[in-house]
Amino acid sequence: MDALLRAKGMNTGYDQLQILWDAALDVKAGERVVVLGSNGAGKTTLLKSLIGILPLWSGTIEFDGHSVDRLRTDGRVRRGMAYMSEVGIIADLSVEDNLRIGGYFSSRDALKSKMEAMFKEFPILRERRMEAAASLSGGQRKMLAAARALMGDPKLLMMDEPSAGLSPLLVTEILRLVKNLEGRNMAFLIAEQNIKFLEVATRVYVLDSGRIIFSGTVDELQTNDAIRRAYFGVDAV
Amino acid sequence: METILAYSIIGGILFGFFYALLGLGLNLVFGVLKMVNLAHGDFVMLGAYGAYVAYSTSHINPLITILVEIVAFGIVGMALYYGIVPRLLKSHDPEMLSLILFFGVSQAIEALATFAFGQNTQTMNPNVFGNHPLVIFGQQFQTAWWVSVLVSAVALALLYLFLYRSKLGRATRAVMGNREETAASGINVNRVSTIAFGIGLALAGIAGALTPFMLGGIYTTMGVGITVTSFAIIVIGALGNPLGTIIGGIVYGVAQFLMQSYLPSWSAMAPFVLLLIILLVRPGGILGKGARYA
Repeated sequence: MDALLRAKGMNTGYDQLQILWDAALDVKAGERVVVLGSNGAGKTTLLKSLIGILPLWSGTIEFDGHSVDRLRTDGRVRRGMAYMSEVGIIADLSVEDNLRIGGYFSSRDALKSKMEAMFKEFPILRERRMEAAASLSGGQRKMLAAARALMGDPKLLMMDEPSAGLSPLLVTEILRLVKNLEGRNMAFLIAEQNIKFLEVATRVYVLDSGRIIFSGTVDELQTNDAIRRAYFGVDAV
Repeated sequence: METILAYSIIGGILFGFFYALLGLGLNLVFGVLKMVNLAHGDFVMLGAYGAYVAYSTSHINPLITILVEIVAFGIVGMALYYGIVPRLLKSHDPEMLSLILFFGVSQAIEALATFAFGQNTQTMNPNVFGNHPLVIFGQQFQTAWWVSVLVSAVALALLYLFLYRSKLGRATRAVMGNREETAASGINVNRVSTIAFGIGLALAGIAGALTPFMLGGIYTTMGVGITVTSFAIIVIGALGNPLGTIIGGIVYGVAQFLMQSYLPSWSAMAPFVLLLIILLVRPGGILGKGARYA
């Protein structure tokens, strides 16, 4: 199967400081790919450069058969890429306005039905639809962030540390959400340091100091001694 | 005593709408770009001279001039945005660079305006809108005042409808809230910002056309003072919050009128003392949050 997303030789960083070094990855349609990396490994930089918020210094990005590395963020989103940052919401806007911004290019009727679907998936958002997003709890913010990203009907949802700042119970909720969305034929690229996300992964990349140091299945990851030591502890597996 | 108090409060509220209009363009641009347009007051000055020249040479009613200035200033604003801002945003320190750059634009406008209009203070006939004074609670206000207040109120209402009832307005508020997250939703934040910048300058143009009636004489070096006044108004209300500007304008107007009535020799200082008090007691402004963006 052809890759939905194919990135090669990605080099980028901030000002003079290079963060990503020759990073390459593929995501196929419907796949759930986890990029595992510790704090400062370059996960956010990787996703920001894929969505176009951070310009590439060199390298190529293809999405759905088209080169997108010269497109602005809005152009990439309209082709079907979505990015859920660690913040994920626009705090000053109401819950409903956040969803409307997520479905900005939908027709009035489509917007209404998509919002209804999101309220069905996340009932708490319906209850608090007129309240400022800033007033939501950490878990509710993640739900809103996911709902906002899904309003655009993406083919690929890139999630930046969806477990950040959440209790273990809420992390389980996020994992349940990812599993529930399986039927949508949507691909996921999840940047995480929480190994619980391997539960939903079909493939894994390991990012270390801005370099992809491993690519393979979860089983292959667990048999790799160096990675095991770094992420699971020697005796854990 | 009560008459003076009533006059000060009513007059202050009426003037407050004009002050809100004066600050609104600056606040809209700040909200979207997190940059202070130091040339804001100079655009207001140009709007004032536009109304003055149109009336003194062709007897064109300032209300007509306002319509022309909305279009002209809007186009200039959008062109200015495209010419300057994307480059600023790519720089290492866009906020600081924008201060220097807009200060340069301010000085250039002032110099060119002085070259074109001379250094003398100009005034306009306050009866240009006719002679139908408004009486509220026994207080009489001249026609030019209430027409200016009405125009300001209509402009504020239209901006409110744009921001809170239109799709593009919602996108504008989203950019104000978080530029990166808005882009991540597929919205072209540069396009939204361009339009907001154009609207910001169009508001400056409207305020400018009313300035000869509300602030008295106009002169080419008045821009800096207007920018400072506008900045005080938006800080009092809440930086980056258009609704806060209306509150800021009214508080500023009432404070100024009260001081002019009771302590006239201190009145010029009053708004800035008020600004200091607001900054100490509520740093985010009356409608603001605890922290500000810049």
